[in-house]
Amino acid sequence: MTLLYPNSDFWWIWGYLLNQKYNYFALRIGQMLLTLFIIVTILFLIFRLMPGNPMAAYIDPTFTQEQQQILMQQFGLDKPLWQQYLIYINNLLKGKLGDSFFFRAPVIEIILKVLPNTIYLMLGSLILAYIAGILGGVFLAWKRGTSTETIGIVFTLFTRAAPQFWVGMILLAVFSFKLGWFPSAGASPAGVVYSSELEKLTSFVFLRYLFLPMLTLAIYLMGLPLLLMRTNMLDVMGEAYVDMARMRGLSEKRVMLKYVARNAALPVVTAMAVGIGYAMGGNVVIETVFSWPGLGRILVKAVSTCDYSLAQGAFILIATVMVFMNFVADILYSLLDPRVKIGG
Amino acid sequence: MEVEDKIKIKKKEENIRKKRLLSIKFNYIKKERIMRKQKYFKYLFIVLMMILAISFSGIIQAASGAGDSERVIRKLMVLSRPQATSPDEYETALLIVDGMRELGLDVDVKVITWEQMADVVWYDRDSWDMTGWQMTARPERLDPDELVYNLFHSSTAEKGYNFVGYINPKYDEIVEKQRITLDKKERRALIFQLQGILANEAVCDFVVNPMVNIVYNSKVFKPESIKEMAGMGIKNFWTYIYAEPVGNQKSIILNSNDTVQSINPLYVSGSVDSWITELVWDRLMRVGQDGLPKPWAAKSVEWVSDKQAKIVLREGMKWHDGKPVTVEDVKFSFEAPLSGEVPMYKPFISNIESIEIVNDITLLFNLKKAFAAFEIATLAKVNIIPKHIWESILEDLKDSPDNAESIQEEIPIGSGPYKFSSWKFSEEVVLEKNTEHFSAPKMEKWIVRFIPNMEAALGMIQNGEINFLATYLGDSQLLQQKVEENPDLTMVSSIDLGFRYFAFNHRRPPFDDIAFRRAIVAITDRDIIVTAIWKGFAVSSDSVISPALEFWKNDNLNFPSGGVEEAKQILKGAGYEWDKKGRLMYPEGKKEKLN
Repeated sequence: MTLLYPNSDFWWIWGYLLNQKYNYFALRIGQMLLTLFIIVTILFLIFRLMPGNPMAAYIDPTFTQEQQQILMQQFGLDKPLWQQYLIYINNLLKGKLGDSFFFRAPVIEIILKVLPNTIYLMLGSLILAYIAGILGGVFLAWKRGTSTETIGIVFTLFTRAAPQFWVGMILLAVFSFKLGWFPSAGASPAGVVYSSELEKLTSFVFLRYLFLPMLTLAIYLMGLPLLLMRTNMLDVMGEAYVDMARMRGLSEKRVMLKYVARNAALPVVTAMAVGIGYAMGGNVVIETVFSWPGLGRILVKAVSTCDYSLAQGAFILIATVMVFMNFVADILYSLLDPRVKIGG
Repeated sequence: MEVEDKIKIKKKEENIRKKRLLSIKFNYIKKERIMRKQKYFKYLFIVLMMILAISFSGIIQAASGAGDSERVIRKLMVLSRPQATSPDEYETALLIVDGMRELGLDVDVKVITWEQMADVVWYDRDSWDMTGWQMTARPERLDPDELVYNLFHSSTAEKGYNFVGYINPKYDEIVEKQRITLDKKERRALIFQLQGILANEAVCDFVVNPMVNIVYNSKVFKPESIKEMAGMGIKNFWTYIYAEPVGNQKSIILNSNDTVQSINPLYVSGSVDSWITELVWDRLMRVGQDGLPKPWAAKSVEWVSDKQAKIVLREGMKWHDGKPVTVEDVKFSFEAPLSGEVPMYKPFISNIESIEIVNDITLLFNLKKAFAAFEIATLAKVNIIPKHIWESILEDLKDSPDNAESIQEEIPIGSGPYKFSSWKFSEEVVLEKNTEHFSAPKMEKWIVRFIPNMEAALGMIQNGEINFLATYLGDSQLLQQKVEENPDLTMVSSIDLGFRYFAFNHRRPPFDDIAFRRAIVAITDRDIIVTAIWKGFAVSSDSVISPALEFWKNDNLNFPSGGVEEAKQILKGAGYEWDKKGRLMYPEGKKEKLN
């Protein structure tokens, strides 16, 4: 009975905790908004202070001063900087990202065109990397003190340190140019049009195009979960309950997977949440090496042509997702691990 | 009593405090005065030192010849894009700078990205000395007018393309005259004269015309159906419509390192965009393989007088949506820029006084003044657009801050030899052949893939993923080697219409002086540049007109090329001298004045 109907003290404490939890959420959300505001302001300044001029893309013998004036007006660049800033903040509050100078189209439209490709690539490689990383981490922790572990760690550090463009070019040279197993550029064969994103995602051809860039990225991403997993495993393996489990005569496999790995995986899960945030940013290098039609390439183009609104829009989107995923990671952690206290 | 005592004590305390404060203040003021005095001494000391230094340097100057250091040419800066993106420009800059140092100049290469360079050279015209620059090939540049006029006429010096700031009334006069000279031979003489002036006055340091190297797969295309166009290589409109398939591959698949910005007949945007607009929309005339304009959508173009052209439209043409192309459409296309919603095309039609419709197939174009390049600059440039689509769009735009450049049709409709099929953003654009066109292509599809990775593009032409390497920015020697290894591939090298050069800023001494510029031109060793930097894939240049344009190119130009010795002679002849340290000095009496 007392378990089902706790006394009034219990409710009071529960309410207090709940209240604290809300306060914590409110605080974190406030911090998040402040961070975003700072990011937005820095982005505005950074692109305008950057050397270069969006007009440079139009330099042409037939480009007259009159045309230049018209363009400046259209882009809103004829106004003083503080006015531009106010307009920009005002538009952002209304959820408008503006028009790209370079593509002459709404920023959000352009981003949405390439975002799915970036997400497929990033999520695909993230999943691949985390599966391989976690398993690899367990394996290396298991083989603690053997030469297998030494080789494994050296190899992991190597994959982490190898430049992505180099790994990408090697994979291209071997699997695409030499063996011809995979195509070398783009996300679909010339002239093929998919009727829907789902059809595209489930088609074998698309997956063939996706494979090499995904592998390149996964090789790079794999290092973090692997090393994290291994360290955590080693920590947990020293715990008394593990010894207890061994003393109970459980098989080593069972001890490792059921008792150690499950507890050690916790930080890796939160690392992955943050990883998803970073994934939004796309990958400039890999997208360029594999001519992948994603956000990273658009970003490069936007920055190099001083396309302020596109660059700002894309970066704001990425920053928002990143900050939000960090927030999610914090919350997840506090939920998953009771040892992590809220507030304090 | 006690209370009064307390008050007294308090007052005393207050007085003491006030006095203390006063004394602190006083002390402070005293200190400040002392400090000020010390500062005066400091200033006095600095001034004295300066006087000493100046008089001392005066003595040194007097010893080494009066006013010499004033005559020494200031440190110069040569702008170049980075080695990573433009190795040829960077290496050429180094070579020229070495030569300049041999002349006794203090000079350095400053590496900046293209975006920054454009910003400085274009919008801060008084601030730079010399810069690498390039002009690229475009069909409309096959008429010499655009290059000889816009680059060097004084009217474009302040804000337009005459960014070097060349001002010469005589040049202006001739360049204006060639515009209205319709007789081709007479006009050629004028163009020759202009090239002569540019070479004599060493207005720019022309370096090379690169070779355009384009590779195609001869298992896919019949070699005789691949067309070479003067100054443009085999990557041109005529190849795209005449190319014939050998086997089952019926698509031209080509690469571009850049993406498409928009597919819009009223917007002059990136170069890939222009490959597409050229194929989707027809024009009254087309620039032929020989570089001369010929009737295209027009059956005939006949000059009634200097200022009036009679145009007969080809019959039976249809828009891609099935509606017929009419003279109304043609008139509309040339008048659309007048609405103010098509700013980029305005300069091309500004010379048209009026367009009269005579009958169903005939139009009369009346010009404000005679214009020799009218056929290439206007008739072969303006896209013919369907009135039934664009009239309402332009009407709607009148109330909006946007103009026609931000319009992207879902399915662009033209009347050209290829129809728009699909566009995958950042990935590819697909066009398919318009079977109803009067010059229907032999290939089924024209596909451009956007591949920023040049090495990947090179791999793709070898393994067949693309069959026409339209853009290649890498090492030409490597390309040639790869082509030789693969029997399926054929490379065609042609002299480019475009050219690489170093521009002098005529606004800033010493570049305002012809002799100085000629000296720099003389030390530019074009033979070494061609063989060492371009590995033979370029020809040396001495003019804005490419050797590819045999008709317009003046072959007898007095462009100095004698190296350091000749340069020194030129400078000596103009009164330049060297000081004891070997530094180059201005002629007596000339002073540097920078704005």
